[in-house]
Amino acid sequence: MQTIYLQTPIQKDAIEALHVGDSVYITGRIFTSRDMGHLRIQGLLEGGQALPEDLEGSAVFHAGPVVEKEGEGYKLRVIGPTTSIRMEPYAQMVGELGVRAIIGKGGMAAETLANAAKYKYVYLQAAPGCAVQLAAGVKAVERVHWLDLGVPEAMWVLDVKDFGPLVVAMDAHGKSLYDDVRANARAEKARIAAGDGAGE
Amino acid sequence: MSNCAVIDQALLARELDRLIRRAVVNISADTRQLLEEALERETKPTARGMLQSMLENTRMAREGNMPVCQSPGYPTVYVRFGDACLPGKLADMLGAGVVQATAEGLLRPSIVHPLTRKNSGDNSGEGVPNYEWSYEPALDYLEIIASLKGCGAELGNAMRIMTVPQLGKQNRGLKNFVLDTVIEAGGKPCPPVGIGIGIGGQMDVAAKLSRKAISTRLWTDNHPDPLYRQLEEELLQEINALGLGAAGVGGETYALAVKIGAAATHTAIAPVAINFHCWVTRRGGVRIWPDGRVEDLF
Repeated sequence: MQTIYLQTPIQKDAIEALHVGDSVYITGRIFTSRDMGHLRIQGLLEGGQALPEDLEGSAVFHAGPVVEKEGEGYKLRVIGPTTSIRMEPYAQMVGELGVRAIIGKGGMAAETLANAAKYKYVYLQAAPGCAVQLAAGVKAVERVHWLDLGVPEAMWVLDVKDFGPLVVAMDAHGKSLYDDVRANARAEKARIAAGDGAGE
Repeated sequence: MSNCAVIDQALLARELDRLIRRAVVNISADTRQLLEEALERETKPTARGMLQSMLENTRMAREGNMPVCQSPGYPTVYVRFGDACLPGKLADMLGAGVVQATAEGLLRPSIVHPLTRKNSGDNSGEGVPNYEWSYEPALDYLEIIASLKGCGAELGNAMRIMTVPQLGKQNRGLKNFVLDTVIEAGGKPCPPVGIGIGIGGQMDVAAKLSRKAISTRLWTDNHPDPLYRQLEEELLQEINALGLGAAGVGGETYALAVKIGAAATHTAIAPVAINFHCWVTRRGGVRIWPDGRVEDLF
């Protein structure tokens, strides 16, 4: 287990150097996107239209911030991860876009693990519910797209410095911390259930 | 009905405002204590890091008067009242208070139409906040518990109308249902979680009992009925033995509490609802007496 400081745009070889359990901090620019944002990206791509941002080498954060209007722009108050599994259907799309890091909570599933290995990206687990602490790593809101989707679902472009701590929970080598933990849990459950001498 | 009286509405308005503000920037003290104990027990470095972040985040939110989590969750308000302390315009005032807190940047606007997904922009919406009214004629105070429960946690929830054979010997079948649900939920509900389990009634009754048990009881309390107390303790021990840990990354403590709410049911069925609550227990509780006395519950 190592601690790595990544700078966006993130290169493929930096991703290949990461393994499950490593700690990561990100400096540069991150983009928020969740259910409606991913759906809109998919729609634009299907229609052959351009995205408002180039996501090659990017970090995409499954999150919606609490913001305050400040002059022409916005000031970020707090931000933390949302439950990532909802974005599982877009595993290939984010890979094709060149996204190198997904930040969220709770982990993702087989599609993500396969596409992370194929396209070279990682899934980073942020501490859930820690919105004040994570906001300390955000220097500024650069801009926002798609506010018509509402504040949580809009794409917020954030200028970050040493954003974290984040844990590599799914790497580009086919390893998932969640799969390991879940397999152990299933074995333990079988042991407990058998110990009571009666199944369901 | 001659002794019916509406509680002082100006006092109620002040207390509701205070209650919302307190709930948004704090987690309840019982949860904070359980998190600290979980950190003391934890041996896995990654899980320790997660628990440390949670405690540090809680401190930063309180000291900086910031929302402890970016998601405001979904508000359900439990109200108990009697003839001498009718709630009056409580619902109007609390709904307006949530909208006001949203305008001040304490709550992110997150309430949407269930199908069009259009965001109201101010956390108002049909049926929001949700109220659970309990009329107890002889009660001499008005009790309000507002619970802002996160919705990532909802993604792990499960409900089953079990049967007698499915309950199994010593409720093994029920316990297996809980353990399977926990394994499936993994890190999704922001562990370490509290788990509310509603048993009995029909589907609607069990579901409401599950939410109420984990939202209104102290996570450090004991069930008054020894049967349910034992089941709560056994489930907590078995759930944590699975080793899923904080954030679902592996560790000693996945659940801080298991709380059962029960009601009688029909002889043909055994409904069981499992309801996850993230570690961010934003809840404000207050009791108000007709003479103006006020007592905080959380």
